[in-house]
Amino acid sequence: MNLHLTHEQLCDLVLADSSLPLHDNLSEYGERDADVVHEHLRACLICSAELESLRAALAHFREASVSYAGQAFARASANRASIAPPHRFLTHPLYWAAAAAVIVATLAPVTLHHYHPAAPQTAVSTAQSTAARHSTESDEALLEDINQKLSDDVPYPMQSLADPTAGVTAAQSTSDQRNN
Amino acid sequence: MPSYAIPSETLHPAQPEQATPFDDLESVVALYEQRIFRFLLISVRDRDVAQTLTQETFLRAWSARATFRGDCAVPTWLMRIALNLVRDHTRTERFRFWRRVSKTAVDVSDIASHVPHRDSSLESRLIASEQLELVWESVAQLSARQRSVFLLRFLEELELNEIAAITGLPVSTVKTHLYRALATIRARHNSTTHEESQ
Repeated sequence: MNLHLTHEQLCDLVLADSSLPLHDNLSEYGERDADVVHEHLRACLICSAELESLRAALAHFREASVSYAGQAFARASANRASIAPPHRFLTHPLYWAAAAAVIVATLAPVTLHHYHPAAPQTAVSTAQSTAARHSTESDEALLEDINQKLSDDVPYPMQSLADPTAGVTAAQSTSDQRNN
Repeated sequence: MPSYAIPSETLHPAQPEQATPFDDLESVVALYEQRIFRFLLISVRDRDVAQTLTQETFLRAWSARATFRGDCAVPTWLMRIALNLVRDHTRTERFRFWRRVSKTAVDVSDIASHVPHRDSSLESRLIASEQLELVWESVAQLSARQRSVFLLRFLEELELNEIAAITGLPVSTVKTHLYRALATIRARHNSTTHEESQ
């Protein structure tokens, strides 16, 4: 004769919903067996103590696990929220406007940075082309001047010797103007 | 006479794709993410792994949403996926290695600080911590199947028929796993009590 509850009987009590009356939990044993178990638990302190202890241990395990998991979940959610915007913001136009503003603000200095070297380069090239044009013009003028001088019959320093009247004619015309 | 294969669309005209609860994944995640994470965390005992597997659970659920026929509840289906992921993950030797070296591994000391203290006496707090430690270590000794069934019953507080639906086992087998899991816990409990009484 077994003096205590069997392992299966004890397990069935643990597995059953403790909020229900004992008879409901042991319904599969039948009314008479449920009464026997119930009577035994009332009479046997060992079985009732073990049942209570086992229930308490399982309850502590559950409550501590649920509490710890809840905290870990909250921490993980907070970490996730700090690195990514909430999903509902993604559908908000203001979110996209702000994102566009940030992108523009980020890219603007880069764009300006790219333009800055281009401007002096253009100025330099303009100056270079202007200088080149000026030098070409002056070269041409110089060559023109040389050509002019070479094509002259009488070199410029000897012009007074070649036409002695030139100075007189000029002087006369000047004196005529004065007389008039 | 040449035979022509009749396209299946002709015999069974294509049904318009039925809407599933997983089409609105955001709502499903909001409702069940914490629960799935909790089960995974206590199963694998690693926060990072639990997070990864939680994401993987919802990803798989969404990918396979067309196969959801509605013959079981949404959390049951999700828990089934999560359970398969745990099984795949813990089967590998790599998992055992990373659990030893992982900084995010969950230790019993992490959990012990969460034991509720309804009674403020030091003795009752010590007893509660000791009982928790006993169950925590006993669960680690269980086989993978026993552990899953045990957690579904005593952590998630699911009914036996729900556990049977998730695991694909008959209710009687689920019960047998629970008896064995509780036998392990009882044996450890009795040995601890016996040591203390000596």
